[in-house]
Amino acid sequence: MKGEIRMLNQSVYEVCKLPFLALLLGAAAVVPRTVQAQADGAVAIVVHPDTKIDNLSFDELQRIFRGERQFWPDKSRITLLVRAPVSVERKLVLQKIYKMSEEQFRQYWIGKMFRAEVAAGPKIVYSSDMARDLVTAIPGAIAFMPADMLSTGVKVLRIDGALPGDRNYPLR
Amino acid sequence: MKRNLQFPLLLVVALLLCGVSRVPAQDIMTGRPQLRGFLFGDVVYAARDNSSLTDGFFIGQLVGHGNATLSERVSFFGELSATARPDGYAFEVERAILRYDFNDLLKLSVGRYHTAISYWNTAFHHGLWLQTSVSRPEIIKVGGRFLPVHFVGAVAEGSLSTSGFGIVYEAGVGNGRGTNLARGGDAGDNNLTRAYVLSARVRPGHDLGLQVGGSAYLDRISVTSGLFDERIATGHIVWNRGAPELALEYANVRHEGPADETFDSDGWYAHAGLRLPGNLSHWKPYVRAERLDVAAGDPAFGAAIPDYRAYIAGIRYEFDILAALKAEYRRERFAGGTELNSLFLQVAFALGHGGM
Repeated sequence: MKGEIRMLNQSVYEVCKLPFLALLLGAAAVVPRTVQAQADGAVAIVVHPDTKIDNLSFDELQRIFRGERQFWPDKSRITLLVRAPVSVERKLVLQKIYKMSEEQFRQYWIGKMFRAEVAAGPKIVYSSDMARDLVTAIPGAIAFMPADMLSTGVKVLRIDGALPGDRNYPLR
Repeated sequence: MKRNLQFPLLLVVALLLCGVSRVPAQDIMTGRPQLRGFLFGDVVYAARDNSSLTDGFFIGQLVGHGNATLSERVSFFGELSATARPDGYAFEVERAILRYDFNDLLKLSVGRYHTAISYWNTAFHHGLWLQTSVSRPEIIKVGGRFLPVHFVGAVAEGSLSTSGFGIVYEAGVGNGRGTNLARGGDAGDNNLTRAYVLSARVRPGHDLGLQVGGSAYLDRISVTSGLFDERIATGHIVWNRGAPELALEYANVRHEGPADETFDSDGWYAHAGLRLPGNLSHWKPYVRAERLDVAAGDPAFGAAIPDYRAYIAGIRYEFDILAALKAEYRRERFAGGTELNSLFLQVAFALGHGGM
């Protein structure tokens, strides 16, 4: 009897082993692919969690980052947080959103402030952690950070309906 | 130390201190007013073929500005300048603007402005480092009287932006020109008739770099022969995509006297520049043509503004991210006289940072 039970267990184990292994392999294959997709150079646009907006068109995103739009629809002021020079995500944002070199970017904001078109330029942040901390603390704040450094507490915006893990996400 | 040197030094020190003061992001959290600022300056070497004009080295204008965010919606902008003169420095409060921002569509402010009547006047102000050429066009030159450079009063402004289309407007009421027509009416309206300015500019396609705009200005000015109505209309087309830059601007100034006499004066400039590609991207050659035709017998302009023609060619070299060297050749003719050839070398710079 004990031998039959052992054989039955063995059979059940053999029968279940394959799908279980397949499930494990599949999961192992899927999770890294998702994380990798997010980390694959994508830059997430994050806002304060109370910001009543989930999606921005790329054109709207450009206007916000260029200081042409300074208020959210609920009339709260937008606070723009920008990483200090040299970071990879800053380079990507300058290239994709501003379409400017580092020099042109600085000259652009100096001109904008000198023309009194904005009350203040973008606030500088020195790390993704600092960006995340400030964007969660300042109502109306918007920032960018590597998608693989996202954590709870920030709200990730869709850009043209896509999230950083999506294939058609424009900021990668 | 001479009294007339104390203030410029204090100004420079104060502006430097405000310009280089870092504004960490944490200040956002404290709610304290945040102050940011820049200092602009230039040094010019001029050589002219007319010995009656001064040439040599000139300390240009030292200009400092500061932005103070007093609260989420209230901000103050100030701009001071110190201009070298033979007997010292002349100081000017160029702009002092206290503004309340309701939203993107409506911002109300009071103070002293650069009149929103000319593209150049509101795009570059006194920051010579910002503009490609050595100096402003004649129709809107600082200290000139063809167009009113400054405006003291109240302004409503805002922007409406949709996908691929943006409109910016400014509407103001103020004192108009002062007793000295080259100055704004800082000490009140000298003839009890307010000036009105309305300007709008349209930007079709945010990435095109194209801007089309126009403005209208109404005032009554006091001249020795009486009160004259002043109507100014301007228009501009600008295309600036970083590499190529084109700016065309036209202005018409009409003065109508009590006996229905009318004087029409026109001025325009056409400016083109091209940032060279690749490794030469710090170089930007440019050319400009200018013309100013003043109505004969205009009591407001008289002999103070002669007819003017100019052809300008130059090159700008950005040897640092915040400094540029400009070399400019100018061929000018005033009031139909002989042509004047000049060569200018200018180093223009900006100091400070805006948290970028």
